[in-house]
Amino acid sequence: MNAVMKLNPDTSAASFSSASAPAARGHIVLQNLSMTFGQGASRVDAVQAIDLHVAPGEFVSIIGPSGCGKSTLLNVVAGFATPSAGHVQLDGKPIIGPGPERGVVFQQYSLFPWMSVRKNVEFGLKMQGVGANKRETTARTLLGLAGLLAFENHYPDQLSGGMKQRVGIVRALATSPQVLLMDEPFGSLDAQTRVVMQQILTNMWQKFRLSVMFITHDIEEAIFLSDRVYVMTARPGRIKAEIVIRLPRPRTAEMMSSVEFTQILHRLRNLIREESLAAMGHELDAGGLEGFATEIGPAGVQHSV
Amino acid sequence: MSSLPWRVINPGDADSAASPAAEGHQLAAVPRPLGSAAMPVQTPAALDGPSPAARLRQILRSQATALLLGACSLGSLVLFWHLATTYRWDFYIRFTNLPTPMEVATQLGMAMDNTRFLQNVGMSLRRIAIGFAVATVLGVGLGLAIGRYKLLRQLMFPAMEALRPIPAIAWVPISIMLWPDNEVSIVFITFIGAFFPILLNTVAGVQAVDAVLLRAGQCLGAREPQLMWHVVLPGAAPQVFTGLAVGMGVAWVSLIAAEMISGQFGVGYFTWEAYSLISYADIVLGMITIGVLGLGCSWLIRAASSWCLPWLAYSKPESQT
Repeated sequence: MNAVMKLNPDTSAASFSSASAPAARGHIVLQNLSMTFGQGASRVDAVQAIDLHVAPGEFVSIIGPSGCGKSTLLNVVAGFATPSAGHVQLDGKPIIGPGPERGVVFQQYSLFPWMSVRKNVEFGLKMQGVGANKRETTARTLLGLAGLLAFENHYPDQLSGGMKQRVGIVRALATSPQVLLMDEPFGSLDAQTRVVMQQILTNMWQKFRLSVMFITHDIEEAIFLSDRVYVMTARPGRIKAEIVIRLPRPRTAEMMSSVEFTQILHRLRNLIREESLAAMGHELDAGGLEGFATEIGPAGVQHSV
Repeated sequence: MSSLPWRVINPGDADSAASPAAEGHQLAAVPRPLGSAAMPVQTPAALDGPSPAARLRQILRSQATALLLGACSLGSLVLFWHLATTYRWDFYIRFTNLPTPMEVATQLGMAMDNTRFLQNVGMSLRRIAIGFAVATVLGVGLGLAIGRYKLLRQLMFPAMEALRPIPAIAWVPISIMLWPDNEVSIVFITFIGAFFPILLNTVAGVQAVDAVLLRAGQCLGAREPQLMWHVVLPGAAPQVFTGLAVGMGVAWVSLIAAEMISGQFGVGYFTWEAYSLISYADIVLGMITIGVLGLGCSWLIRAASSWCLPWLAYSKPESQT
C-alpha cells in the first residue's frame, strides 16, 4: 500500500484524462424527453417533457422523490431504454444503445463475482480487444490510484460494500468514458461509509474531470458533489427546479456546515418535501402525517379507548 | 481540546498517524485524494481469519472426526452383512444364498487377475465418457441458447418438456431399433439420461443470471457473443455444474439398465450375467463396482466444479464447513 501512495496521483491521472480533455467531450442533452410504460389502463407516465443537459466536465445531480423516474432518465442515457418521445444525445449524436463511452455505476453491486477485482476492471478493455499486458498495466495503475491494488486478486464477495462500489467506479473509468452515469451508487451503503465514499468520489472526479450524471435521493449528497442539481417532481417526473451550486472546489467535509451549504440545503429540502408529499398524497389521508390523530400515551391503545 | 465539554477518544489521532498499525482502523478525518488507507476497510489479513497453522489444526480435527464417523458407518454396514450371511439369517428376508464379504473379496482378487472383468469396467467407463460428453456439449449449448432467447425457448421447450418425463430406460427398445449397432444404442441411452438434467439446469441457470450483470457487461462494450461467453456462461456455471452432477447420476442408472437389457460387456452386463450363471459373489462384486465407479465420477464432477468456480467459496462461506 505504501508503494502505491508514492505514485503521484496528479500526474498519473492527468495522463489518463489527457486523451479526452482537449476535445472537451461528454455533452449530454435531453430534449423534451418523455417515457411511458405499458398500455391502456396500466399505462404509466414515468417522465414527461424533460429538458436537461450535462456540460462537458460538469457534475450534475438529479434528485426527486422515490418513483419520480430519475432512474428512468439514467437508463435512457445509458441506452438501456428507448424514450417514448423526445431526443437524447451525447456530443450531438443520438444514443441508441449501451456503449463503453458511457460508464455506468449501478446501485446494486454489479461486479462479476467470478472475476477477481483486477479482471473486473480489465473487462471493458478486454471487450475492446486490448492486449493482456496493456490491460493489466492499465487496471493495476487505476487500482493503485484508487488505493485498491492490495485487493486486485480478491473476489468481489471478499470485499465490503464500499469497496465493491469503488471497484465499480474504477471499472467504469477503465475504458476512458466521456461520461459517468451513476444510479444511486451509494444507496445500499451505511450512512458512515456513504460520507467517506462521497469524499472519495469528489476527489476522484477532480482528477478525471468527466461529465457525471448522478442520480440520488440524498439532498446533502447532491449538493456536496454537484455543480448543478435538477429537482424532479413526483410522477410523472418533470423538472421542477435547477439549482447551481457555487461552492468552491475541491469540496471538503467542512463545507457541509457552511452557511451557503445550509441555505441550499433548506431550499432543496422544501422543494423535495412538497414533491414527497405529492408523491405520497394518496397514502396520506386526514391525520396521516400526524401519525395518530389523538394523544394515546405510553399505556397504549387498550387503556385510552 | 481540554476546554471542550466532550472528550475525543481517537488512538490514531496525532502521534500514531505514521505507525502502520493505525492503518485500516483510522477513520477518514482528512480524506486523501483517491484515498486508500483512509477507508476503514478489511485488510487482506483480516479476511483470512485465524493463522494458517490454527486453521490447519481445525481442519484436521474436523476431518478426523468426519473420517472416524465415516469408518463407523461403513464398518457397521459390512459387519451387518458379515453377520447376516455367515449365520444365514432367515426372517422373511433371506440371507441364505448371499455371499459373505470375504467371498466377495476373494472374487475381487480373482476378477482382477483376468482381463474380462477389467474389460467390462473399461467398456462401461467408455460408454459413460462418450454419452456424458455429448450430453454436456449439447445440453449446455442448447441450454444457453434456450435460456437466453425467448423465441428459441418458446419454440423448443414444449418438445423438450414432452420428451423429458420418459425415463432413459424406456428408450431401450426404440434405441435398439434406431441405431445401427448395440454399442451406439447403449451410449445413446446414457446420453438421454444425462441430457435432460444438464439442459434444464443450464436453462434455469441462464435465467437466474442477475440482469444488472448483463447490463454492466453491455455498457462495458460487450457484444452478444462476448456477453454469452464472459457473462451468461460463468453466471450460469454453478447451476450448470448442479446439472452435470445430477446428469452423471442418471447417466449411470441408464447405462446399467441398458447394459443389463441389451448389452454385451459392461459392469451392468457382468452383474446380470452373474445372476444368470448363479455366481452370487460376482453379483455383489458387480454392485460394489457400479457404486464405486458412480462415486468416482461424481467426485470428478465436484472436483471440476471447485476447480472451475473458486469464487463460490467466498459467496457462500457457510458451505465450506
